[in-house]
Amino acid sequence: MGSQGKKWFSLNLNNKGKQKQASGSCGCGNPSGGCHSNETISDGAFFEAAVDASIGEERHKDGFEQVFDVKMDRRTAFKKLTASLLIGAGAVSTSCSVVAGDDAKEKSQIDWEEQFKGNYKLMNDEEKKGTVDRLVRSYQLRTGKTISLSSKNAEKDVLFGYAFNISKCQGYMDCVNACVEENNQDRKSEMQYIRIHEMKDGKGFNFNEADDNYYHEVPAEGHFYMGTQCFHCDNPPCVEVCPVQATWREEDGLVVVDYDWCIGCRYCMAACPYDGRRFNWSKPEIPENEVNKNQHYLGNRLRKKGVMEKCTFCVQRSRAGQNPACVEACPTGARIFGNLLDPDSTIRWVLANKKVFRLKEDLGTEPKFWYFMD
Amino acid sequence: MLLHEKTMNKFDLHKLWYLGLVVILTIYSCKDHDNEYHSITDKIEAESKKYEGTSISLEKYIEGIKMLEVTENGLTFLIPDRKGELKSYACTECHIKSLANMQSKDLKKAHWNIKLDHANLNTMNCVTCHNGNDMDNLKSLTDNKIDFNKSYQLCSQCHAKQFNDWTGGAHGKRIGGWAPPRASMTCVNCHNPHKPHFESKWPERYNTQKVRERK
Repeated sequence: MGSQGKKWFSLNLNNKGKQKQASGSCGCGNPSGGCHSNETISDGAFFEAAVDASIGEERHKDGFEQVFDVKMDRRTAFKKLTASLLIGAGAVSTSCSVVAGDDAKEKSQIDWEEQFKGNYKLMNDEEKKGTVDRLVRSYQLRTGKTISLSSKNAEKDVLFGYAFNISKCQGYMDCVNACVEENNQDRKSEMQYIRIHEMKDGKGFNFNEADDNYYHEVPAEGHFYMGTQCFHCDNPPCVEVCPVQATWREEDGLVVVDYDWCIGCRYCMAACPYDGRRFNWSKPEIPENEVNKNQHYLGNRLRKKGVMEKCTFCVQRSRAGQNPACVEACPTGARIFGNLLDPDSTIRWVLANKKVFRLKEDLGTEPKFWYFMD
Repeated sequence: MLLHEKTMNKFDLHKLWYLGLVVILTIYSCKDHDNEYHSITDKIEAESKKYEGTSISLEKYIEGIKMLEVTENGLTFLIPDRKGELKSYACTECHIKSLANMQSKDLKKAHWNIKLDHANLNTMNCVTCHNGNDMDNLKSLTDNKIDFNKSYQLCSQCHAKQFNDWTGGAHGKRIGGWAPPRASMTCVNCHNPHKPHFESKWPERYNTQKVRERK
């Protein structure tokens, strides 16, 4: 966690944690379980001292005085306060606690480092590996089970594209089931990335009259079916509006979200003209035995309440060469996925030989999701 | 008069400043980041010209699946082996005598579960595809031999449009994933040749979330 070349503020806190634990000490070289400097004062007292040392008399002033009689600007004060809190609460309560076990110490150490990590978009490969390792270890400590969490980057000469055959889709919804299972989506809220719309023949794409909640034998007479999900626009409006840059387009065309950087403002949800984004209203819950352990940081890793998520073309699968779960599950072959830059790929054949179109092409969002008919 | 000229100059200068500002703004307001191309089709066309292949390969996903390479419509790809999948291949293990001899009542009835539900009887019956004198192979409409592994050649006789789409990859499914080399399922991996249509059925799940969101 060196501070050089970093684009965000972070602290060099116990970066050799594992070696230190192996030697049985806790960061100050003392193997007895407590550090000398902290043994004599309580957590509270240390916190007080740390805050006093950093902003001193500032904190004893009321709001008016703070505004009109400042000796240091508020930004610096806040920075210092954060630093003190980190030293005070972090180091005292976790690393050097006499009562906490090694696991608890490691857990809180991981929590702290995760809390203050940067935006995944700006991380270098080493930092990406760091956060991925921490998340794997954290899951291990919490559940005793090991997951495989990838931070695989976009491959050169790859641009993912998708084609959907409207004549083939029969509304069986196997894709939705596969998506939920693959992407570790909350089972209770039934939030889903894919929507299958049942539309009346002869009325075209009429989303206002479409039935998205059909439950009868399919295909129903006089109806056709089409699916929507995130279209991974090449010019994505959701990325433009994100105030914290928690969502971006990767080199291989996938529009992804850093769930740990997202603040849940849902601007992107409003900006998306295709209803492609979803929000976690409740804490996602998945039965432990149903958790898909093949995960990617930007994909199906376990998420939290109050952040955005969406289809990632199953980044954990697609970057490994597989098709997204929906493509694999579709029993009718209505879904085609591939590399748009490979002139010999099947998706390119579809684009060149079928009459393809996209939704709301005039918006200039350049979705990489084409529809076609037999 | 002198004063008037001075104000004129001042106005001109102002105009020049504004003009300059407009020019600068025009240059900078053009979004140049990430938007090198006018459209995604332009981008695909331009960038695929320098395509050099990827390190991502399908190999490990199709390991252990017996495949054969076929070339149709100038496109080469892999399809899974069929003969190994058939439960009672080779057919001649039972069909040692001619069909007429095997249709007697004394012999045990076989293939009782197969009922042909493909086109109508004016168009098709058993011998449209099977050859009573050469049970180990299929036959074309003109009595040419077709290998069981390449049964798609049989289908393509009538379903030329679907066959064309299949060779390109617009019809049917891939095996393993998107990465090269391309491995595609063949007709009989999805369609039962004796009953090729898909049945209507209940959807795999009921979606309630949309109802809730709209309330």
